Amino acid sequence: MATSQLLPLELVDKCVGSRIWVVMKADREFSGTLLGFDDFVNMVLEDVTEYDNLGNQTHLDKILLNGNNICMLIPGGEPGGEVGSE
Amino acid sequence: MSNGTAQSPFSPGAEASEVSTNNPSAFLAQITGAKVAVKLNSGVEYRGDLQCVDGYMNIALERTEEYVDGILKNQYGDVFLRGNNVLYISSI
Repeated sequence: MATSQLLPLELVDKCVGSRIWVVMKADREFSGTLLGFDDFVNMVLEDVTEYDNLGNQTHLDKILLNGNNICMLIPGGEPGGEVGSE
Repeated sequence: MSNGTAQSPFSPGAEASEVSTNNPSAFLAQITGAKVAVKLNSGVEYRGDLQCVDGYMNIALERTEEYVDGILKNQYGDVFLRGNNVLYISSI
């Protein structure tokens, strides 16, 4: 009897083509459209907003984000609008 | 880049509906030669022409400008960035 598990990378794969919110280890976040990723979860993102530790926002067209410092991925997410988020 | 004896990152993992910039390797191939912005983990940003990049995100740039806190601090002819320091590579 095979139980159907959702593997982490499968969840990320489901997000390809939609918005994703990426939280890094340090106080930095990215929000963009996920174009693709690899086994190391290096990510190609499009139409990206970079949020730094000061709260500044930068817009980037298309980036390859190094998976080394990625902490958390939230599908369909945009930062803000959550209780106690800061 | 296949997983053989020489283990290099950037193995194509995700399914490709549009191959052009789907995975990291394809994106890097596409932007080679173009002007890019590279941000390091330290927050320092380098803008220049992307000469080449490898599977470890080691980067060679030409005509590089170095921005610290968003302010232009230095300019270099050729720059080599060690991949472990790279936060992201962005097309501009």
